[in-house]
Amino acid sequence: MTTPHFFAVATIGAAVATIASPATAQTTAPASKTKVETTAATQEKIELSGAELWTLNCNRCHMIRSPGEFTAAQWEAIMMHMRVRANIPAAQAREILKFLQAGAGK
Amino acid sequence: MRRPDHPIVNRTITWGFVGLSLLATSFASFGQEPASASDYVSRAEYDKLKAEHEALKQEMDELKTAVRQMANGTVPAIPAEGPSTAKATSPEGKQLVTTTTAPAASDAVPIETSGPLATHSFSIVGDAEFQFGKISHQHGAFMFADFAPIFLFRGGDRILFEAGFDFTIQNNAPGSSGYATTLNLSFATIDYIINDYVTFTGGNMLLPLGTYSERSAGWLNKFPDAPLPRSVLPGNGIGVQLRGGIPLGEKGASLTYSGFVINGPGSMDGSGDAGQLDLGGNVGLTSDGKLTNNLHGGAGEGGRVAIFWPWKPQYDLEVGVSGMSSRYDNAGRQQYNAGVVDASLHLGPSVEVKGEYMNTWVGTDNAGTIRPRGWWVQGGYKLAGLKLGLPYLDKLELVGRYDTVNDALGTWTKRGTVGAVYYVTNTLWLEGDYEFTSNRGPNPAPDDSLLFQISYGF
Repeated sequence: MTTPHFFAVATIGAAVATIASPATAQTTAPASKTKVETTAATQEKIELSGAELWTLNCNRCHMIRSPGEFTAAQWEAIMMHMRVRANIPAAQAREILKFLQAGAGK
Repeated sequence: MRRPDHPIVNRTITWGFVGLSLLATSFASFGQEPASASDYVSRAEYDKLKAEHEALKQEMDELKTAVRQMANGTVPAIPAEGPSTAKATSPEGKQLVTTTTAPAASDAVPIETSGPLATHSFSIVGDAEFQFGKISHQHGAFMFADFAPIFLFRGGDRILFEAGFDFTIQNNAPGSSGYATTLNLSFATIDYIINDYVTFTGGNMLLPLGTYSERSAGWLNKFPDAPLPRSVLPGNGIGVQLRGGIPLGEKGASLTYSGFVINGPGSMDGSGDAGQLDLGGNVGLTSDGKLTNNLHGGAGEGGRVAIFWPWKPQYDLEVGVSGMSSRYDNAGRQQYNAGVVDASLHLGPSVEVKGEYMNTWVGTDNAGTIRPRGWWVQGGYKLAGLKLGLPYLDKLELVGRYDTVNDALGTWTKRGTVGAVYYVTNTLWLEGDYEFTSNRGPNPAPDDSLLFQISYGF
C-alpha cells in the first residue's frame, strides 16, 4: 500500500470509528432525553458569558453581527456554520447561540 | 235480572256517574299549565329559530375544521379582516336570518407562535462586491466583482448542508462581443457534528491551508483582491475532513484542528513537467465523460493545527501550522507538498495584524524540485481608537498590506497596498486602495492599480 493510500484509509477509518463513538449535538433540544444526558457528560466550564464569547470569536474574522439581524431559527443554522468553519469549541458555540437567540429578531 | 226501578236509586246512580266523570276530568288535567296565547309560535318565528340553529351549526363545523387543521400542523384560513357573516335561507331562497360575528380578538382562531423551533431551517448568507478599477496604462472601468451567496440548510442538531457560489461576469473581448457570466461552486459540503470535539465534513471543501480561504476571502477581506501568494496553494478540494475545537481553560482559548483527505491537485497535460501543476483540477468527470475524477489515483492529505489565545477582551493571538501532500501527475510519480504558517493578532478593538507564509515543493520531470512560495502581512487601525469623537472618522480604518510571490518559474512579484475602509454599517463597507506592484520575470502581475470597492455582507 502506498503512503498516500495508507493515510487515506487511516483517516477514513478514524472517521468511522469516531462516528461510532458517543455523540453530542450542538444544541440541546428538550425533546431529546439522550441528547441532554450526553451533552451534560461532556459540558465544558466556561468563565465567559455568551456575549463575551460572541465578541471574542466573531470579531476575529469580521465585524460582529447584531443578534436582531436574524431570527432564532436562522441563528441556529448560522452558528452551526460558524462553529464548523472557525472550529469554535462546542460549549462556546452553545453559549454564543443562546445569547444571539435571546435577542433574535422575529 | 230485574232492573232497579226505584227513583232515588236511579238519581244516585246518575249523580254518581256525573261525579266520577268530573273527578276523572280533574285528574286528567292535573299537572298541566294553563294554556295561553303566548305558548304558540307562528310559522315565521319557527323558521327564524330554525335558521339561527342552522347558522350556529355551520359556525361550529367551521371551528371544528379549523381545530383539525391546526392539529395537523397546517394554518387554518382566517378572514383577513372584517366581520364573518353566516347567512341562512329558507327553502324558497328567501333570506331568513343573518348572524354576524364581530372581529374581536377573542373570536379569531389563534395561531400558536411559541414552542420549540423547527428542527430544519434554510438560510442564505453571503456577500457581494462591486468595484471600480484603474490600472496603469489602461482605462478605468466599473466592474461587478462578485456575488457570492451561501446556502445553509440545517437538518437538525447535527447536520448542516452548506454551499457557496461565486457569480462573476467576464468581458468576451477580444475576439467576441458581450460578456459571459460565470458561476463557480466555491464549496459544497455536508457537515455532520459527531460530538463536541469532532465534526465530519464531506464534499467540495475550502481547504484549511492557512486561514485565508476559509475565513478571509470575499467580504471578510479588507482589500479588493486576494494576497498574491495564495496562488501557490489550492483553495479547495473534494474529499472528506475531520475538524473541531478543544477548549483550553475557561477563558475562551482553544486548540483547533482540521485533517482532510482529497483527490489532490492534478496536471494540466497529465505530465509532471514544470508549469503543468493544476491546483484547481482533478475533480468531476473528465471532458470525455470518463469516471476518472482522480487522474493520478492517489490521495492528497493535509491539515491544520492552531492555538487561539485571548488574554483579555479583544486582545488575542491565533497561530496555526498547516500543510498538505499529494501526487499530481497522471502517472503518480511527482509530488506536490505545501507548508503554511499563519498568525492573527488583535490588540484591542482598533488594531489587527495578520499574515501567512507559504512554501511549496513541486517535483517535476524536467526541472527537479521547484519551490513556489511567498508571504503576506496586513495591518489595520480603526481611527475610533483615537477617541476623537468625530462620527465620520470613527468609521474609518486605515489598512496596509505587503505581499510577494515567487512562482519558481522565473517570475517574482512584490506588491505594497495602502488604503482605507469606511464602515457605513457593520456589513456595508467602502474600500479604497492603491497598489504598488513590481514584477520580474515572464508572468507579471497587473501594474499599479487604483481600486474602489463596495462590499456588502448579508
